[in-house]
Amino acid sequence: MNNKVRRSLNTVLLNILAILLIVYIIGPFVWMAAASIQGENELLKKPPNLIPENPTLDNYNYVFTGKIPTAYEVKGQIRSRISQEARLIGPAVKNSFIIAISVMAINLFFGTPAAYAFARLRFRFKNPSYSFILASRLMPAMAIAIPYYVIIRTFHLLDTYLSLIMVNSVITLPFTIWFLTLYISNIPREMEDAGLVDGCTPFQSLTKILVPMMAPGLVAAGAFAFMTSYNEFLFARFLTQTIKTQTGPVIIASIAGNPDVSYSLISVCVTLGLIPPLILAISMRKWLTEGLSASVTYH
Amino acid sequence: MGKANDVQFERARPRIWDRLYPYLSILPALIIIALFTVYPFVYAVRISFFQNLLTKPRSHPFIGLQNYEEVISSYYFRSALTVTALYAIAVVLGVLIFGLGVAMLLNSNIRLANGLKIIILLPWAIPTVVAGLMWKWILNSDFGILSGILYSFGLISSYIPFLANPTLAKISLVMAHIWKEGPLAAIFFLAGLQLIPKELYEAAKIDGGGGWRLFRNITLPLLRPIILIVIVYETMTAILVFDLIYVMTGGGPADSTALLSWFAYAEIFKSLNLGHGVALAIIIALITLVLILIYLRLLKTEEINV
Repeated sequence: MNNKVRRSLNTVLLNILAILLIVYIIGPFVWMAAASIQGENELLKKPPNLIPENPTLDNYNYVFTGKIPTAYEVKGQIRSRISQEARLIGPAVKNSFIIAISVMAINLFFGTPAAYAFARLRFRFKNPSYSFILASRLMPAMAIAIPYYVIIRTFHLLDTYLSLIMVNSVITLPFTIWFLTLYISNIPREMEDAGLVDGCTPFQSLTKILVPMMAPGLVAAGAFAFMTSYNEFLFARFLTQTIKTQTGPVIIASIAGNPDVSYSLISVCVTLGLIPPLILAISMRKWLTEGLSASVTYH
Repeated sequence: MGKANDVQFERARPRIWDRLYPYLSILPALIIIALFTVYPFVYAVRISFFQNLLTKPRSHPFIGLQNYEEVISSYYFRSALTVTALYAIAVVLGVLIFGLGVAMLLNSNIRLANGLKIIILLPWAIPTVVAGLMWKWILNSDFGILSGILYSFGLISSYIPFLANPTLAKISLVMAHIWKEGPLAAIFFLAGLQLIPKELYEAAKIDGGGGWRLFRNITLPLLRPIILIVIVYETMTAILVFDLIYVMTGGGPADSTALLSWFAYAEIFKSLNLGHGVALAIIIALITLVLILIYLRLLKTEEINV
């Protein structure tokens, strides 16, 4: 009996902890989304409403069409808080998306054959080149940011997609190669051996036999590369100059740095900018979790 | 390579191809990485030996190690080193405790665990700048929702300036950092927990072990490799943190949250002293490298002992 009471008390305690954790984890997201459908006046009240009193899509309407929300016309002085920059979030998310998709493609296209070679083939300089690729990630971004800037400027590639795609590929490729090498090493060799007996070249055994078997690993590696470059901020800030290439994080940081900006408009930008990674994280959850788990438990 | 080809020809070609194939498959990736690692690194080291003021773009005299000396003897170096060390320790400990706790919660059989598994990766998936921005707002001293909630429950009489007080600002940063990085550690630990055979716990329970003893004698030792991975990884992210500080505090108030990496940025973009900034960045790289080597050493001795 005593044991039973203790066990149910335990369950209650765990549930309370779980609820607190859920609030801590998704609270910021929920508040951001709630703030984006409120007028500025309502948002600056003390204390603010947790649940919006007069929910409105005016802020979104402004970002997409440029129509000034009615909430801003109530008090004249707030009108200056309308920031034109908020309207850049659409193109910025598009830029982030194009860059992230390209980086993902490059990672899979160049990373997969490299990982296959490291996992399965024997050749000279295999270990040094593998170690070199992994060690390249130890360099702090701040130390190479300036050299990157100089290189990109020398090639007249500032403010181009190409420069950001290159830089983000360099950042993500080592992880992709390491991750896929581990992944391939953990796939049994029998199928490939059978293929080799039948006269497959290494390339054929990679594309015809291995790739279909490692689809989950490829999906996870692709998602990691996508997220890393979608979220990258430091290099994007140095290497972009106009909205032609500025990414979501760059625009959001720049809007937020403006002391006069409207908070409900920032919330709109943040909410819109978060949609792609959140959708990706939820829909790819199973692969991501498996991939992350694999990266610490495979040896 | 059609099948109608001469037999000898067909055999000779695949052999060379086979020998070249491994190199061809690693070369593109290797070239891209080398191009953007070796050259920038050499370039950075070179910059650090020259005077390089962005206000004087035409004169770059060679000054040897003077940039390093000036950075180390600067007014901020000692305090920034202390702040960095404190921040790293707080973040590493915080992420470890959070990660372990959350992983055990996820691994328990309560019903909410499934819901938690869906949302736990969300903070990890978003840009750090955006995470920092969201927390900056929640903690705002004029309209922040955290103060707002505490205020409406009557727990405080006036809003708390979380980011304007040196101590609270540090705690706030660490909290936001744990929010962003903790989930990844939780997933790592969960993976580790799921590998521990249930029989081990059952056997120990028969021997009369309580919850804490099970945790100390079974869970912790078996998670040791993952704990070390998390420590290495989190030490790196803590020392190199930039995005979060950039949006949340800008190093303030009064440099209380200015880590070494922040000063590397400030030297370059605020003092416009490229030489100092890059020298500091290289010092940070060396500190990180030394720490990682120490950890790896520990990891090795652990393996021998076990």
